[in-house]
Amino acid sequence: MNAQLDTPGDISSKIHPRAGQALTGADVVVQVLADEGLDVLFGYSGGAILPVYDAIFRHNLENLRADGSEPLPLIVPANEQGACFMAAGYARASGKVGAALVTSGPGATNAVTPVRDCTADSIPLVVISGQVPTASIGTDAFQEAPISTIMGACAKHVFLVTDASALEATLRTAFYIARSGRPGPVVVDIPKDVQNTVVTFEGAGELPVPGYRARLRAIEQTPLSDARCAEFFAALKASSRPLIYAGGGIITDGARDALRDFAHSFGLPVTTTLMGIGGYDTTDPLALHMLGMHGTAYANYAVDDCDFIFALGARFDDRVVGVPDKFAPLARTIAQIDIDPAEIGKVKQADWFHTGTLRTSLERLRAWGIAHGFQANYSAWHEHIGQLKSRHRLDYDRQSALIQPYAVIEAINRITRGHAIISTGVGQHQMWSAQYFDFCEPRRWLTSGSMGTMGFGLPAAIGAQFARPDLVVIDVDGDASIRMNLGELETVTTYNLPVKVVVLNNVGDGMVRQWQKLFFKGRFSASDKSLHKKDFVKAAEADGFGWAQRLDDPAAIESTIAQFLAFEGPAFLEVMIDPDAGVYPMVGPGACYAQMVTGDFIASRDEVPAAPLPTVASPTGMF
Amino acid sequence: MRHLISILLQNEAGALARVAGLFAARGYNIESLTVAATGDEEASRLSLVVYGDDAVVEQIVKQSRKLVDVISIEELTTRQHVERELVVVRFAASGLAWANSHARVLSSGSDQCVAEFSGHADDVDEFLTQLAIRATVHDVARSGLAALAS
Ligand SMILES: Cc1ncc(C[n+]2csc(CCOP(=O)(O)OP(=O)(O)O)c2C)c(N)n1
Ligand SMILES: [Mg+2]
Repeated sequence: MNAQLDTPGDISSKIHPRAGQALTGADVVVQVLADEGLDVLFGYSGGAILPVYDAIFRHNLENLRADGSEPLPLIVPANEQGACFMAAGYARASGKVGAALVTSGPGATNAVTPVRDCTADSIPLVVISGQVPTASIGTDAFQEAPISTIMGACAKHVFLVTDASALEATLRTAFYIARSGRPGPVVVDIPKDVQNTVVTFEGAGELPVPGYRARLRAIEQTPLSDARCAEFFAALKASSRPLIYAGGGIITDGARDALRDFAHSFGLPVTTTLMGIGGYDTTDPLALHMLGMHGTAYANYAVDDCDFIFALGARFDDRVVGVPDKFAPLARTIAQIDIDPAEIGKVKQADWFHTGTLRTSLERLRAWGIAHGFQANYSAWHEHIGQLKSRHRLDYDRQSALIQPYAVIEAINRITRGHAIISTGVGQHQMWSAQYFDFCEPRRWLTSGSMGTMGFGLPAAIGAQFARPDLVVIDVDGDASIRMNLGELETVTTYNLPVKVVVLNNVGDGMVRQWQKLFFKGRFSASDKSLHKKDFVKAAEADGFGWAQRLDDPAAIESTIAQFLAFEGPAFLEVMIDPDAGVYPMVGPGACYAQMVTGDFIASRDEVPAAPLPTVASPTGMF
Repeated sequence: MRHLISILLQNEAGALARVAGLFAARGYNIESLTVAATGDEEASRLSLVVYGDDAVVEQIVKQSRKLVDVISIEELTTRQHVERELVVVRFAASGLAWANSHARVLSSGSDQCVAEFSGHADDVDEFLTQLAIRATVHDVARSGLAALAS
């Protein structure tokens, strides 16, 4: 461990009130957490983290607020996976770093899945894990696990703190690394003796991490030159069918406004990835909603038709591009901006690219375009997009006697109107939620995108409710996904959170069955749960939900959902849905967009003769 | 294609494992790897040899560059550089005369000898091939590459 401190020149300007005090390592941990501005912690205790837990208890007692509340409440989940997903939900909903504290061995290994999930979705998280005492490391001690090795493969970074004098700087650096650049989770593994060692608290200072800082500085300080802006607009000028493909980076970088202003100024339609949902108001006329494997048919057709694609904080993931060579086949220009140099050209060669922050880059490009009088008329393209949106709109069996999941989501959406926080498990219900909900703002859509971790929805909703007590938080879950962290139902009521939980029950792993129907001749190996005995409503009641109901009458959808959402406290709704409802459209694995299957209720291009693609700009426009 | 990658790495707990782990996780076999201290006690120099097509190696270099402990990383293959490798070999005494004139003999006994040879990796290969023609080779320890931009 590197004990050398980075001491920026202006450090003396603000001296920490506790600087110079002798504190135990455990007290240092709590003080740094408080300094980082956290207002809630999530975690489960155990032998190797007890000193820190005691320090939190004392900190809260000594710093009680006037209203009697604790400054650093510690939220206790059913298990550590829950704690870390809560912290991740908090981070996703707030944009701040979430923090979780776990014990050594099994506590820390339970944190592996959420840590990997956060790396894969670029979510800032700090996990503090207790470790066996320094002298016992490597002796197969009780509850010892090689966390720095295990997490090293999963996290953005890991610190094993073996020198108490470096603890404070290490913790501050962990927060810095978690939130900077492309965010991610950082694990700080702290042996118990280090937590008990008395050190002098400095009140400031970080580790040098010279390579990381230099690279970040280079990226953040490389502006888009006039020449690069000119190149960009020259390519755009040559285009008659440009399209923006926006990913999670828009949300991470707080670039929603910059994206909207850019799209509106020049009239570029926008499709987003699963992670990018909320980065562009889905109710905006230029919005095409999500693209990819289960994207809207009109977004995917627009990708097939566009001649210029502008990737913003999006990484051409396999669930988006399918077959890379056949993605956006007519695009003559692929332009890309990303903060991560490794994403530039990783899957598709970019003709124009910039490594940098999205917000500043988009603002710069927009200002340049306006200053240089860039004007294009994409009205023919807008008309084409409008036709795609009406001809190939999402739809489903509206005559069915069974409850259709899409109808349930539409009913919720009519009340929440794109402003609620929606979290999900993984499976069909996740894709239906991505497709049918409106999202007018960023940080309202919380889903495990890259890892696709079942069990994410409920703990993420809990964490989000702590971040945003002012918003309605709804976990739209699957009957199988929610089982994975069902213990967290009790956490909802323990803390009396007004979280709303909806289980779309199709009696099994619906997404798995959908694939088994398509690729395994309908052999439902291990995906049917019709013999399972769980009564979800009783389970919710047993965990203290004051409102828990089952909905199985299609005629009662509207009224039940209105009651459910109007209930003040924690509420649980199980909806018995058509078990055969599928997720459409679907671009099968290894297929290209042209082979997209739209199902029985969404028009495919094979049935609707396609209008010729616009090439000449016509005189009227939307903007 | 053969790629030679040079990394300056912070001496942190687990840093080496993170570099090696990244290569393993992305499906790369490291052909050779040397790690040793530099003049700066905070940093170590790693030299790696991997085989793969250019685009794929470029991606692994970019991914490695994201590791927090990596101070700098460069691909030497595309640049002017020097590279050397050391081998220590134990072989049957029948090869002693030839070894005496082509390598440095470190010990010799009535039935086995040990010699060292250093040079470009290709020369090391050639040396071992030639030695094997003349005597039974019992054990070989190669150092892996040490390389710097020149
Ligand atoms: C932890 C985990 N295990 C397994 C999977 C594979 N998987 C993806 S979707 C799915 C079924 C999910 O069922 P449910 O939560 O009921 O959602 P539905 O598809 O029925 O809406 C499974 C098993 C996964 N994504 N995550
Ligand atoms: Mg299900």
